Amino acid sequence: MPITDAYNAPVKDMKFVLHELWDASELSTYEGYEDASPDLIDAMLEEAGKFMKNELLPLNQSGDREGCTLENGVVRTPKGFKEAYDKYCENGFTALSTDPKYGGTGLPHTVEFMVQEMVVSTNMAFGMYPGLSHGCYNAIYLHGSEAQKDQYLPKLNTGEWSGTMCLTEPHCGTDLGLIKTKAEPMGDGSFSLNGQKIFISAGEHDLTENIVHLVLAKLPDAPEGVKGISLFLVPKFIPNENNEPGQRNGVRCNAIEEKMGIHGNATCQLFFDGAVGWMVGQPNKGLAAMFTMMNAARLGVGMQGLGIGEIAFQSAFDYAKDRGQGRSLAGTQSPDKPADSILVHPDVRRMLLRMKANNEGGRAMAAWIALNIDKSLKHADPEVREQADDFVQLMTPIIKSYMTDAGSEAANLGVQTMGGHGYIEEWGMEQLVRDARIAQIYEGTNGIQALDLAGRKLGAHYGRYLRTFFHPVSTFIEENAMNPDASEFVGDLAKSFGWLQQATGQIAQSGLKDPEEVGAASSDYLRLFALTTLAYLWCQMALKAKAALKEGRGDAAFYEAKINTARFFYKRMLPEAQAMFKMIGAGKDTIMAMDEDGFSIAA
Amino acid sequence: MSEIKKIAVIGSGVMGMGIAAQCANAGFKVDLLDIVPDGAKDRDIVAKDAIKKALKTDPAPFMHKSRAKYVTPGNLEDHMDRLADVDWIIEVIIERADIKQDLYRKLAAVAKADAIITSNTSTIPLSILTDGMEPARAARFAITHFFNPPRYMPLLELVTTDATDARVREGLRHVCDVALGKKVIDCQDTPGFIGNRLGTLWIQVATNAAEDHDLTIEESDALAGRHFGIPSTGIFKLMDLVGLDLGPYVSKSLYDNVNQGDMFREEYRESKLLEGMIAEGYTGRKGKGGWYRLNKIDGQKVKEVKDLKTGEYRPVEKAKGAALAVSKKGARAVFEAGDKLATAAWEYMSKYFVYAADHALDIANSIFDVDEAMKTGYGFKWGPFELMDEVGPKWIADKLREEGRTVPALLDAVGDGTFYKIEDGERFFMLADGSYTPVVRPEGVLLLSDIKRRSEPVMRNGSASVWDIGDGVLCFEFTSMANSLDEGTMTMLGKTIATIDKSDDYKALVIHNEGKNFSVGANIGLMLFASNIAAWPQVQSGIRGGQDVFMKLRFGNFPVVSAPSGIAVGGGCEILMHSDAVQAHAETYTGLVEVGVGVMPGWGGCKEMIRRHLGNKRAPRGPMPALVKAFELIGTAQVAKSAMEAQRDFLIINEDDTITFNKERVLFDAKQRALGMVEGYQPPEEETFRLPGATGRAAIDMALHDFNMKGMASDYDVHVGREVAMVLTGGDTDVTEELTERDLLKLEQKHFVALTKQPKTLARLEHMLSTNKPLRN
Repeated sequence: MPITDAYNAPVKDMKFVLHELWDASELSTYEGYEDASPDLIDAMLEEAGKFMKNELLPLNQSGDREGCTLENGVVRTPKGFKEAYDKYCENGFTALSTDPKYGGTGLPHTVEFMVQEMVVSTNMAFGMYPGLSHGCYNAIYLHGSEAQKDQYLPKLNTGEWSGTMCLTEPHCGTDLGLIKTKAEPMGDGSFSLNGQKIFISAGEHDLTENIVHLVLAKLPDAPEGVKGISLFLVPKFIPNENNEPGQRNGVRCNAIEEKMGIHGNATCQLFFDGAVGWMVGQPNKGLAAMFTMMNAARLGVGMQGLGIGEIAFQSAFDYAKDRGQGRSLAGTQSPDKPADSILVHPDVRRMLLRMKANNEGGRAMAAWIALNIDKSLKHADPEVREQADDFVQLMTPIIKSYMTDAGSEAANLGVQTMGGHGYIEEWGMEQLVRDARIAQIYEGTNGIQALDLAGRKLGAHYGRYLRTFFHPVSTFIEENAMNPDASEFVGDLAKSFGWLQQATGQIAQSGLKDPEEVGAASSDYLRLFALTTLAYLWCQMALKAKAALKEGRGDAAFYEAKINTARFFYKRMLPEAQAMFKMIGAGKDTIMAMDEDGFSIAA
Repeated sequence: MSEIKKIAVIGSGVMGMGIAAQCANAGFKVDLLDIVPDGAKDRDIVAKDAIKKALKTDPAPFMHKSRAKYVTPGNLEDHMDRLADVDWIIEVIIERADIKQDLYRKLAAVAKADAIITSNTSTIPLSILTDGMEPARAARFAITHFFNPPRYMPLLELVTTDATDARVREGLRHVCDVALGKKVIDCQDTPGFIGNRLGTLWIQVATNAAEDHDLTIEESDALAGRHFGIPSTGIFKLMDLVGLDLGPYVSKSLYDNVNQGDMFREEYRESKLLEGMIAEGYTGRKGKGGWYRLNKIDGQKVKEVKDLKTGEYRPVEKAKGAALAVSKKGARAVFEAGDKLATAAWEYMSKYFVYAADHALDIANSIFDVDEAMKTGYGFKWGPFELMDEVGPKWIADKLREEGRTVPALLDAVGDGTFYKIEDGERFFMLADGSYTPVVRPEGVLLLSDIKRRSEPVMRNGSASVWDIGDGVLCFEFTSMANSLDEGTMTMLGKTIATIDKSDDYKALVIHNEGKNFSVGANIGLMLFASNIAAWPQVQSGIRGGQDVFMKLRFGNFPVVSAPSGIAVGGGCEILMHSDAVQAHAETYTGLVEVGVGVMPGWGGCKEMIRRHLGNKRAPRGPMPALVKAFELIGTAQVAKSAMEAQRDFLIINEDDTITFNKERVLFDAKQRALGMVEGYQPPEEETFRLPGATGRAAIDMALHDFNMKGMASDYDVHVGREVAMVLTGGDTDVTEELTERDLLKLEQKHFVALTKQPKTLARLEHMLSTNKPLRN
């Protein structure tokens, strides 16, 4: 049995984050979320946690080993996926946060994001099928015509139909201005699409009766580059008058990728050969339409990092506490056993604490962003909505990039903790390394995320997005400067925040003169930003925990662990911020000085 | 000839009134005479109404409302005797030679023998006006052609002939240039002189090209753009601005007066569409609309434009085309773009070039004068010869030859050279024979651009440069975008002060630049960014740094003269108030506008307003009236609409400062002012103040509350107003306490930074930066 089966959904920590660190009860004051009381949210999380553990986790390792198969254009998903998918739909997980008008449950997105973490922890490859449908739903919901919404959204909500996002082509992924897929108007409002798309997750499979492809393509008279891209809806089966799958459309899967991880998910090459499609939104505005859902998608990928990080941590801990090797450097701890558990070794503890600090900090960050997504959509005051949206815009690249790096690191630390047993297939840990790796790449590589933050979000509206982070942190530091409970943290927080302010000013100024300076600083800047964010969150969490201990409420051990993890983060992780600051300050010179020959001269 | 002291203007139409007002602005007593309407009860009603209307006109003909009293209205039947002691009579009546000649005879009968008479005609030759005039009168007669509006348009065409007394010509030149502040250009006595001759041809060929090449009005206006040095008004918008009804008249008159074979006669077309529009009252911006109009459709304002083909209005569309896409690369790129817009542009601009080159030396003394006239009369960046230099004279000549057109002699003469050249920092222009002569400035004109061409700066950074303008005087020039003030400006100003302090060679400083605006104030983009990232210490140190430098300016060991022109607001105003003297161009628009973006003056602006208004001996006694006045100016972000207003009502310019009317003379006057102060210079003493504190704030609070109730001030306006009032009343103080200038500066720092923490202030800053308009929130 794989070691990862030890996993339990971290509902206790989710509740802490939602109700103690933040105040998720505010959600129920928004129009449409009246039912989303803290009790209901908690119940949902408990139920979801059990469902994922019982239904998805058992298919994780088998799905990875079996993978997907393609025969005669038909993709078969691993054994058990179809049955699990049907239960997943029956339980309403495909429609948690979607609009009740189209059959959704209409719960806050915050709940959806927390559930997503559990899905990823238990079976990332599986989770991508409904995940892609959700992205497809959002794009149609935000940009589709009323008729398109009526026709497709209910089917996506029930999970009867699934969805995809078809962007990448063989010669272009990041630079979508280069796409070649063509869409010819047929004169009856429909278009005929021709071209090839690759890396299409869930592009073809046997879980649903129909698949709704959202395809980026160019109209015949489209302008060059990104300004000439339109978005089209291409169903695998064209719906008949009863809105049931009718005639087979001209889209075929002719290969699925052999890849490093997420084997349970079909990554397809799709050929569009005179496929019938309909435009979603305005001509030549396809990329913008795609990008409005990209934010949610990127946040979803950030949650993948967290999900992998959590199961890697739990599994590694489970292994470490029972694995006896050597004796403690401080003297024997378990004289009755042949060896002490490896948990006694400082370096093992270091690895586990790193994972734990990133997971719990990342969960706090995710909840902060998710609550702001709900606020940006539902709050009554438009100014508050705008501010919340500014915040989401700002933090999206940070959580996507930092949390997928952290998830990948956690999986590797998990392998390291287990030694050779981590490296072999049997225990399931190496699968996490392979699965986690893609999250750093898709939905915009982490390098692109860093550029998005430093090059776009930073300067937008003269730094208005930044305000939503910098002002509360600045106020928090001021307010807690004299707070004895905060004294062990707030000085280091202020330092890190100061570096972040300086680096921000520096990038803004140097970027005006030389965009390459922004590019050279971007990844380190994003990391500095993320570490400062986590420091801010860990200080607050420690303060909440200290308050709870003083009041004598709740589970004291939980709060003590929080405070310990906060201290670990401040002393053993936050110092990296200074290194980042120094690297940013070094500018682009050492990066840009070498010519092409210099790279190859040594070989 | 005696000096000109008293002026009369005959005819009180828009031009006559405008000229009279500008004379009054310059300090002349002016008689304004017009006809007596049939059966009028008040026989001066025409001139009186004109003055009344002028006081309501925006932009205002008068620089200060008190100047209206300098103009005495009258009529041509009862008040001819008043003309007996007038030195200069300006005729601005209907454009008919017979009526004008008749008037001149009447004037001659009453005017003193050495009085000068001039006409403002734009179309009738001097030779016709003086036809039959007694030679002694004719010798004292000239044309002084102002451009509309006379206060604001710099060009004045001076037309004289060999028969004109040279002293009369020079006397007029002097009074128009120095006193009225005009750019005086000598013109030959030819139809339309320079401005109307070339300008009318240009508009005609441009509209012809629009018609012939099927261009829309939007395309035409976009095509006549910055790449040709033409302001954003283009062609059709320019016509709307000037008034459509005038155009056909000027064109027809030019057509009648130019020689047979003149290009204008071939190009001249009467427009049925235009005639129809004028008949319906579509006379441009002054009427119901013109080529463009604002229409209300379903309560929405829609900008519409005439479709040249259908003659109907339709919504404005953005012009596109290859020629426009490359327009940033310059005029030549536009000509070579290959689309129909490029063809049209070349067709009409080449005609304009040919016409200018063919006639420059018949209508003006030099190509230089032609260029200067077109720049100051039309707001062009380049005159036709400067523009041809930009395109390449040889390229133009070759293209003309290729097309089988005759190449004008001047274009032939210039060969593969240029009409202007610079040698050893001197600018030369070409004469008829292809030789070059240097540009010579009149006495009393000192241009920074000339100095910059001849020398290297004493020091410079990205925000400012410092120039040695001779006789031990340095000139500090802002060089940042819109001359905004940032850290670099302050650093450089600090360095400049230290340099003069230590130096034996330098003894005075002039702060001046030749930008469109003196300064738009602090760079709020940087401040907003710093505020957004909660870098409050940086915001505060930006405030303190500016204060320190401005205090050094005020108390330094040498005289400082600021010489502004155009907009000088916010920090640009504060720098004036910390100078020993201000030598302002008459068209200086200054004030403390900070509250418009949700902040307050922080570089000593509040402090100076307190100091200046408390020290105002003409104000009522006690501190409150002075503080309320200061509050009103700062709290409602008022901008003086002239240097005169800034001096008299705002107290931004000192009482003993003089104002320079001609922009080109500002730097010279400022330098002389500074040198005059060097001998025995003593810096001012630092002042102390007794301010009322909380008791004074109560009165201001009540006023704010009242504004709020009446809907004149938003809740946030009240918040900002209270912060301003805190500073102006001295914060936590009372009259027993003595506050120093530094104390007030610290208060400014504190309350300024407090405002930058407010989201609504940051929203105002962002809105101003992204839309250039204030946000009321």
